Amino acid sequence: MDQRIVEFIAGLRVAGVRVSVAESIDALRAVEQVGMVERDLFRAGLQAALIKESHDQPVFQELFPRYFGFEELPPMQQPGGGSMNEQEQQMFQQMLQHLLEHLSPEQLARLFEAMMSGQRLSREQMNQMLSQAMSFLYQLLPMPHPSPQAQAWMVQYALQTVPFDRLVQALDQMLAQLRAAGLSETALRDIEQTAHENMAALAEQLGQEIERMMREQMRQQTGTPRPSLRDLMDRPFENLSRREMEELRQVVTRLAARLRSRAALRQRRSKAGPFDARRTIRSNLRFGGIPLILRHRRRYLKPKITILCDLSYSMRPVASFTLLLIYALQDQVSRTRSFAFIDDLTDISTDFAEMRPEQALEAIQQRVRPPGSYSTDLGHSLRTFVRDYFSCVDSRTTVIFLGDGRNNYHDPNLQAFDQVCRRARRVIWFNPEAPHMWGVEYPDTLNSDMLEYAHRCDAVHQVSNLRQLITAIDTLFVRG
Amino acid sequence: MDMGTATIEEVRVALSGQRYIASSDICTAVFLAGRLGKPLLIEGPAGVGKTELAKVWAGATGNELIRLQCYEGLDEAKALYEWEYSKQLLYTQLLRDKLAEVLSSAASLREAADRLAGEEDIFFSERFLLPRPLLRAITSDAPVVLLIDEIDRADAEFEAFLLEVLSDFQVSVPELGTLTARHLPTVILTSNNTREISEALKRRCLYLFIDYPDLEAELRMVQLKVPSLAPQLARQAVEFVQRLRTLDLKKHPSVSETLDWARALVELNARSLDHKTLEDTLSVLLKYESDLQRAQRAMQGPPPSRNRYGEE
Repeated sequence: MDQRIVEFIAGLRVAGVRVSVAESIDALRAVEQVGMVERDLFRAGLQAALIKESHDQPVFQELFPRYFGFEELPPMQQPGGGSMNEQEQQMFQQMLQHLLEHLSPEQLARLFEAMMSGQRLSREQMNQMLSQAMSFLYQLLPMPHPSPQAQAWMVQYALQTVPFDRLVQALDQMLAQLRAAGLSETALRDIEQTAHENMAALAEQLGQEIERMMREQMRQQTGTPRPSLRDLMDRPFENLSRREMEELRQVVTRLAARLRSRAALRQRRSKAGPFDARRTIRSNLRFGGIPLILRHRRRYLKPKITILCDLSYSMRPVASFTLLLIYALQDQVSRTRSFAFIDDLTDISTDFAEMRPEQALEAIQQRVRPPGSYSTDLGHSLRTFVRDYFSCVDSRTTVIFLGDGRNNYHDPNLQAFDQVCRRARRVIWFNPEAPHMWGVEYPDTLNSDMLEYAHRCDAVHQVSNLRQLITAIDTLFVRG
Repeated sequence: MDMGTATIEEVRVALSGQRYIASSDICTAVFLAGRLGKPLLIEGPAGVGKTELAKVWAGATGNELIRLQCYEGLDEAKALYEWEYSKQLLYTQLLRDKLAEVLSSAASLREAADRLAGEEDIFFSERFLLPRPLLRAITSDAPVVLLIDEIDRADAEFEAFLLEVLSDFQVSVPELGTLTARHLPTVILTSNNTREISEALKRRCLYLFIDYPDLEAELRMVQLKVPSLAPQLARQAVEFVQRLRTLDLKKHPSVSETLDWARALVELNARSLDHKTLEDTLSVLLKYESDLQRAQRAMQGPPPSRNRYGEE
């Protein structure tokens, strides 16, 4: 049984649940305590030891019945067992033997025998029957987590290679022979019905075996869970597939937690602010006024962030990750205002105020649709920003621009940019393009004003992948 | 009762003896935490009885409950121990004469310093140590239940510190040496999930997620805690609360609020949940103006809307 639990844990890992070795040991110890007789307690015990995130619970609920074989196979019966006398039974067996000898291929005969005698197939028999279909399916399996639909399709596919239709033919043939031999109609009907039930049971058994074999295969392929996270973080945003983006989005909260504790530690360890006479006197009262402990004022200014994101198609992945990270770090920031621009500026702070970051991102992407290619116009957006929203920039604000600085020959509006730089504490630019591309015109399409903007900023970070983005965001919390 | 040897059934009986209705998940988790000697991390929406479970557990085992309430800025000094400077100072003042007497016979400065050093154990002894909840739990003579409430409110650094304490239940005080737990305390951590708890901490703990109870379970709780509420009305009230939880509200009513509401209904001698009663008491369940309005709109489906304008 331990083996089964270990397999189950491996299955959980394949499905994306993080289970450490220590937790697996806990699970085994827990099972030792609760026992396996009462299924509900057994499940609760495993769950308490293995599942540490509430969003992993559905995975557990789904996998648990599949592994702890309580999914029962429908029972199989000997066809015509009750309604034939001994002589008839003998005849039945003879006919069956006769027919089996003439049935080919071999696997069809085994299947027919199982159906007519009410015995289950052994695992070797099933493996033989399915080997061809499975080897084809294994080739498809490199996709890491096939959807439930895809898995259902695979089971269907493998089952179709089993000759159930010829089984029916053989059954009809046998029934005809039995009828000719003078077996009663009730007995015939009985045999036919039981045979069909047995066939359904066999299909079920085979289906479960197929699922098991596929899970096994997936487990072997993805032997070490999530080997690719490191690579994914270094992969440029534009080369990420949808699925990989999704995967990364899930780790963003974890990375944010790491960033947060780093920022908190830095705040604690950093040099304290000016001498605080009031607190020094108060805390030294207990030493009779002898100043043993000096207190300093904590310069605990959390940054205010105003972020302007280019939301044109090419920038969307970077923008969504940046916004996700910034909003995951809200407790380190005293105030965040966010704007999106393509040809003109829109305030998107309200979306984040009302919804969870992921939902807000969806809503914004629905609302702000690029009108067409080559329409990005930062100059115009800056004009709107300075006119309508300039109040959200003050001497404590860090302004972040996120864009590639390609303005499609529109006016870069450096004057407004300078105005922002003068008022803000810091102006930082996140650019997904590598520095050597800045200012380089793409052949007769896009010009780049990046060089003009770059030297006006306090810092420019290249953020073409998640790792760079995280480093860049981390610097926001370093007190300059 | 000793949780280290109790069976699941005994745990269930003990918890219900403390008037706490526990699902089999809760019983199993409590049982395992006792058997494996591991901390139990409880998560779930606010007001489903996470803290209550710890109190009940302490009650059932007859052990003392030591509670450490976490908040932003909680540090070791407030959670573990502090030296009582003022007491030390007071003692040195009062013992000045005796000190002078001890030191007066010393021939040289070196000898006086040596003598003083011989006495310094007195000032750095457990006498002057002010134990905070964690140290109290570790040094207690009898087994205790340690409740670390709302761990998600504490800073990440404190979590890291807690990790060390929870893994081997010992604390080193530089002046005294290492203090090891005499009895392994039963540890319960609760979290409202306002931020992610670090994985390292989660790995050390068993995990229990308590969700809102279903209709029957909540009804049983109401009947247990507010027996004076008429059964018919209790069912209506619980059905209403369950319906509220399906709405898209800023804050869903918790179990404790259901109980408050049930008590309010008893106090108001309500016979049935008519419009008037609802409007008067809904503020017990819902704490946001926008939620109240939304709920009222949702509830004012089919019944006549006459009452809205106060025309009876």
